[in-house]
Amino acid sequence: MPDPEKRFAEEWRNAAYNCFSSGHKFCREVCPVLQVTRNESWSPTAFHANVVAMEQGSLEVADVAADYVNCTGCGACELRCPNSLFTGDFYRFRTRTVDLVKAVRALAVREGVHQPGWQRWNLLTDELTHEPVTSRVSQERVRDWAQGLDLPVGGETILFVDCEAAFHRTTAPRAVARMLELAGYPFGLMNEQWCCGGPAAEMGYEEQALRFARHNLEDWRASGVRRVLVLDPHDYITFTEDYPRYFGESFDIEVVLVVELLAAMLRDGRLVPHVPVERTVTYHDPCRLNKRKGIWREPREILRAIPGLTFHDVDRVSQWSYCSGAGGGLGVEKPELTARISRMRMDKAAELGVDTLVTACPWAERPLTEAGGARAIGVVDLHELLAESLGVA
Amino acid sequence: MSYRYHDEMTPPPPERASEVAITRFEHVYEVDPALMTEHVTQQTFPNWDTLRLARSRADHLAWMHRHFAHKVISGEELLDDLDGGRSSPRTPS
Amino acid sequence: MTIAMDDPVLEELRQALGPEHVLTGRADRLNRTRVPAPFPVHRWAERMPDLVVLPGSTEEVAEVLRLAHAYRIPVVPRDGGTGLTDGAVPLRGGIVVDVKRINQIKEIDLENRTCTVGTGINALKLNEVLSRHDLIFPDDPASYPCSLVGGRIGTSGWSLIGSRYGHSRDLVLSFDHVLPTGKVIHVGDGIGRKITKSSSGYQLKHLFMGHQGTLGIATEATLKLFPKPEAEFSPFWAFEDYDSAYAAVGRLAGAGVATFAGAVLFDEWKVAYLRRDDEAYIPQPSSVKALVCAALYGYEDEVRAGGRRLLRIARSTGARYLGDEISEGDWAARHDRYATPLHGRTRSGQVVPMSWHCEDASINYSRLPAVRLAWHEIADRLRRESDVFDDWGMFAYTNGPTGADYLTEIDIGIWEQRLDDAAWTEWVAAKRDLAAVALANGGSISACHGSCREGEVDLVPEELGGGFEIMLAVKRAVDPHNIMNPGKYLLDRAYEPGLEEP
Repeated sequence: MPDPEKRFAEEWRNAAYNCFSSGHKFCREVCPVLQVTRNESWSPTAFHANVVAMEQGSLEVADVAADYVNCTGCGACELRCPNSLFTGDFYRFRTRTVDLVKAVRALAVREGVHQPGWQRWNLLTDELTHEPVTSRVSQERVRDWAQGLDLPVGGETILFVDCEAAFHRTTAPRAVARMLELAGYPFGLMNEQWCCGGPAAEMGYEEQALRFARHNLEDWRASGVRRVLVLDPHDYITFTEDYPRYFGESFDIEVVLVVELLAAMLRDGRLVPHVPVERTVTYHDPCRLNKRKGIWREPREILRAIPGLTFHDVDRVSQWSYCSGAGGGLGVEKPELTARISRMRMDKAAELGVDTLVTACPWAERPLTEAGGARAIGVVDLHELLAESLGVA
Repeated sequence: MSYRYHDEMTPPPPERASEVAITRFEHVYEVDPALMTEHVTQQTFPNWDTLRLARSRADHLAWMHRHFAHKVISGEELLDDLDGGRSSPRTPS
Repeated sequence: MTIAMDDPVLEELRQALGPEHVLTGRADRLNRTRVPAPFPVHRWAERMPDLVVLPGSTEEVAEVLRLAHAYRIPVVPRDGGTGLTDGAVPLRGGIVVDVKRINQIKEIDLENRTCTVGTGINALKLNEVLSRHDLIFPDDPASYPCSLVGGRIGTSGWSLIGSRYGHSRDLVLSFDHVLPTGKVIHVGDGIGRKITKSSSGYQLKHLFMGHQGTLGIATEATLKLFPKPEAEFSPFWAFEDYDSAYAAVGRLAGAGVATFAGAVLFDEWKVAYLRRDDEAYIPQPSSVKALVCAALYGYEDEVRAGGRRLLRIARSTGARYLGDEISEGDWAARHDRYATPLHGRTRSGQVVPMSWHCEDASINYSRLPAVRLAWHEIADRLRRESDVFDDWGMFAYTNGPTGADYLTEIDIGIWEQRLDDAAWTEWVAAKRDLAAVALANGGSISACHGSCREGEVDLVPEELGGGFEIMLAVKRAVDPHNIMNPGKYLLDRAYEPGLEEP
């Protein structure tokens, strides 16, 4: 076995063994990939057990790299794992399947084992400084979504807009900007925004991820940014988990999730929704908010504040087993698997008799919209829905 | 509601809860860190993660009750009944 | 038995199932050798199958077994792989038949209160669907969120709330079963699919449950459903010594309360262990030495009435009610009570990751105290000799509504990373001793997992007596070439020359 693999197995052995030795598999029925494929080779348990096999010299990363594609990074497995849910906080030692999957993908890339879709995607991202989410992506057009809004560049607080929202779902950041203006909350746009680097890190392209992160942090520092607002749950993870890991205590930027900010503005009366929105909706908890961050109250507060809505809620724990299928690069490498997971999610919405699925994640919206088409269920972004009710859509 | 590195990486000071456990956050126990120095060492654990797990555990347990039955009967209330206490039942939690 | 990559059976399987459902990769096979029961990590690869198939229907399972029968290839069925007696572990290579894809809900019969499902379905996921009809399938093992119906059939599983609703054998009405030859039969009470009681012919349902995959594979099952309970009550009580707790559980279980779904007795070792890391027990005063809990399910009025009765009984035994918060929190955690590795401690108190052995004898109420002492002595012997073993204490759970017998559990932590061959030998001997204690006290080796692990399995002929010879004869008749899960339950003896007729 190559040396880097030995070192890797050594680093992860206790964490992997913690799963292997218990063999609970409570992860299985909440894992979106497992629910549609039923293939135990792609289970969170297998992802840990493979490390034990690597430590024993019975597997090499090349044998299993393709298996590790089958993960959306939703975090359901590691939260539902008794080693996290029942004892993770007690021991300050929890199951970290998402980190492990990222680490194996990175090990594979370092060993020269690439997945063709991911390799191409990250080459293009490197070239464009943004993910190639549409054919119109370029550095010059990263602020095009804000045309006509007259937003300043720089300042103490900036709004960071993820690649999907900046180039594809542009109505979402426009809605956010107009609501913040309505509330009188000062903010600007980033000087030279690049992709956050999170997707590269998820697909195993670590060096690129770090390079992008450095660029963004230096840009913030150079223009005196103290606070970064994010509307995308994926960015929120990257800035609160990856950046702190890269930069340690020198990472002194405050990170604010827009959904939490808006909920606070509703609470203190700075924003008052008044335009009725006549829709029957359910809410899709973005995995990275609900499962990975425990943020699920605020989106519901927002929905309950919108007049005219009929809201059929599905609780946050039931939604641990829901996923759009879009995360973790799965849609780039295996779009057909993402589509199966989206369809499963939409089937759940259809059972409720709703006409609209509300989400708070730009990345979930495209696959869910495709899955919703066949069921006559529309997909609407939470920020946009609130903006409509505030009369600034 | 916002993330700041320093705040997240600075847990409240520990108080001893038993011979083998401490507590830093209300109603959340942790192992005495001295017991995790030889074989398994503790991970970097930001405050948000500790609270996320503790709250998710409570949510999960409440979910399990709802999964198996529509409501949970309070033993404290039944004991009051036995003692000839309140006549009108309180809403069970 | 080893199947080479160019073996013709591979091509036939690919044609029958589709190439994507025949897996030969090393990781695919390694990940289907493992169940939660402790086993030395360094010997993991000994239990590798040659290939894995993922059939999608009864017909596909039948085709796999026809081929295996024709080519004399060992077959091991695998459902959830959560069992604690190695039933799903291949001992002779061959084909693992992983039935997780067979997980459809075929029918929910509201009139007769049954549902028919593929055996690859999980009960929690099924109940999420059934709750829309206000129904529940109350088969509730500690692996409730991950075990699958087929495994419950293959092990004849035990349910936490079985004292109210029955165990897997009562809740599974009938099933399609693929015999080792590939022939498909339907097994139930009589020939019925939804019949709960028949006296027609031999009662084959019991025979084809709990065989640990040695008699074939269940693929589609019809299940008994109940109204989802309106109310639940789960009081926990503390005691200052084991004897009072033991007396109390006997009276509670024997009270004959109709909504009574089960009671659990925790001994001193268990309470001491819970004080390590359980938020309910860390703050308990040191005077708390033993615990009892009970659970009631039903309509609110009947649960309240039954609850008051149990509280009165408990009070008369000197029990202290632990309060609603602990009672509710701890009971809810029992639906997925699998041990976590960091419960483990060295003798100096350091945290170590240990795997979990759960001994699960059935013991009559009157013998519980004797078994408890004998078992802790065995655990103590292991612990004295090395840090590999840790005594995690005992539970006793009621098996039924009259309190006659209990699933009696001693939990032993085993540090598999350090489980070398010598320690494993020591463990297998201890395992045999634990089983011997159960038999010496008139009990059964296993209430729920099955008894085919190393050590305990040696005593199965002693437990079953003349019945074991019948078992051999049945095995030989049903599986003439010993292809189904060979090596389990000493059933190889069925094929030894000169075996006497029973």
